[in-house]
Amino acid sequence: MERLTTWLVGIVITASVCCLFPLFHIVTLKTAAAEKAAATFNATQFAETFWTNQLPAVFGKAVNADALLPVIKSDTAAAKKKFSRSVGLSEGYFYFVSGSGRVVAVSDDEVLLAVTDGNTNAEVSLQTGLIFGNALRDGTGLLSANDYPNSQDFNDISAALNHLVETRVLPKLRERAKVGAKISFVGCAEVEDEATDLKPLKVIPFQTKTQKN
Amino acid sequence: MKTDWLKQMFAAWLATAAMLFTQTSIAQDAAAKPKIAVVISTMNNPWFVVLGETAKARAIELGYDATIFDSQNDTAKEAAHFENLIAGGFKAVLFNPTDANGSIANVEKAKAAGVPVFCIDREINSTNAATSQMLSDSYSGCVKLGQLFVKTVGKDGEYAELLGIVGDNNTWNRSKGFHSVVDRYPGLKMVAQQSGEFDRAKGLEVMESILQAHPDIKGVFCGNDSMAMGAYQALVTAGKDKDVKVFGFDGADDVVKSIAEGKIVATGMQFPKKMAQQSAEFADQYIKGKRDFAQKIAVPVEVVTKENVSKYGDYGKKP
Repeated sequence: MERLTTWLVGIVITASVCCLFPLFHIVTLKTAAAEKAAATFNATQFAETFWTNQLPAVFGKAVNADALLPVIKSDTAAAKKKFSRSVGLSEGYFYFVSGSGRVVAVSDDEVLLAVTDGNTNAEVSLQTGLIFGNALRDGTGLLSANDYPNSQDFNDISAALNHLVETRVLPKLRERAKVGAKISFVGCAEVEDEATDLKPLKVIPFQTKTQKN
Repeated sequence: MKTDWLKQMFAAWLATAAMLFTQTSIAQDAAAKPKIAVVISTMNNPWFVVLGETAKARAIELGYDATIFDSQNDTAKEAAHFENLIAGGFKAVLFNPTDANGSIANVEKAKAAGVPVFCIDREINSTNAATSQMLSDSYSGCVKLGQLFVKTVGKDGEYAELLGIVGDNNTWNRSKGFHSVVDRYPGLKMVAQQSGEFDRAKGLEVMESILQAHPDIKGVFCGNDSMAMGAYQALVTAGKDKDVKVFGFDGADDVVKSIAEGKIVATGMQFPKKMAQQSAEFADQYIKGKRDFAQKIAVPVEVVTKENVSKYGDYGKKP
């Protein structure tokens, strides 16, 4: 009898300890998959929030093309120093730029604008083809690689932002871009080769609007 | 006679004293020098040899005693190196990790022991373990290579991809950068995607099997230059080196030479010497008191083609 009591007490103590500190948890496969998805960075969702909440708030900080283009023309290095930003050890750089201009030509991949007063030559090329690279992610200065443990997540943001521009901005721009139309824009330009990327300045637009004449 | 003997004795004593003094000075000098460890994922790849040797050389130039540890692509060996270097009193680690996730614990262990770690070329998935991480912008480099791939191979046809080590972020950043472009062209069909583990022999072996299953491919994108050289060798053996365009990534000397000879189409130059030197300088600055380092520093990648190959060589851009 005494032995049985000892066993029962032992079992009760063990059961109590296991209840308080379970040795394992049973999780359904569905829950496990949901938890994994929640822990995974969702670049599409991030880009959507960034696009809606953060980006419009800084449009006013973009350098105006009227101010930028004459400096680029007269002193490229001075324009770079004053208005650009770069990432890491890169010799390439970005302009976050806004402005408005009159359409002087349209092709499958670009809409060319004359921007400064009295000019009829193409000074800005709004990119309307397939959008690649990191200009939109890195051009504003709002996003930093230092905030992302895994650079794959940071790179996925580029692809997601490029997709948003291709689907939300470019179709309307292509539709409205007729020679003579006046268009305003906010976007980013990446300059890797000053000989080819500045004249005209190749801008990937976040936003474009057609203005009344 | 006695004077001669005394002179000889005195000369011998002087020489011995001088030798002992010199040896003691050297020993004291070596003992006085702080030590920097250079831990490299593998020294079985010329590109990483350049990375490791350059980091070591720059650390020595800066006045340190530097030692290279070869992890042989093995996280267990890497962990043992960290145990040893922490116990051995190394003041900083210049680190090329084997695994973006698996290597974090080693860096954290070093940090807890007060040893700063500077990652070179390969990333760890953390923003608060390493003091700084100097990383090639593989994604952007492969966006450019993807654009060149479409221009060279065309917008239609079958192609293959050789991936690197699947646990390494560079593998996926390169692959994703490349696919962010080529996937936009529905006529381009990837018929095979296999890991060649960043290894030349494995790249050759994988390419041989891909060619047997898909003899009509028009191009192959390789996640590094060692695999590109292996793939090219397989194509030569199969008599298809003129039909299949090979693209690599790294900027290894043998591939740069192959580009000049028209054997390989292009590579992404990563500048291992620049990254290694800068990381050694960061370690020096840390030891001297600096603490504010950017966590992740992107190093741009440049595309090397037959048109601009004369500008490149010796793992970088010619002066």
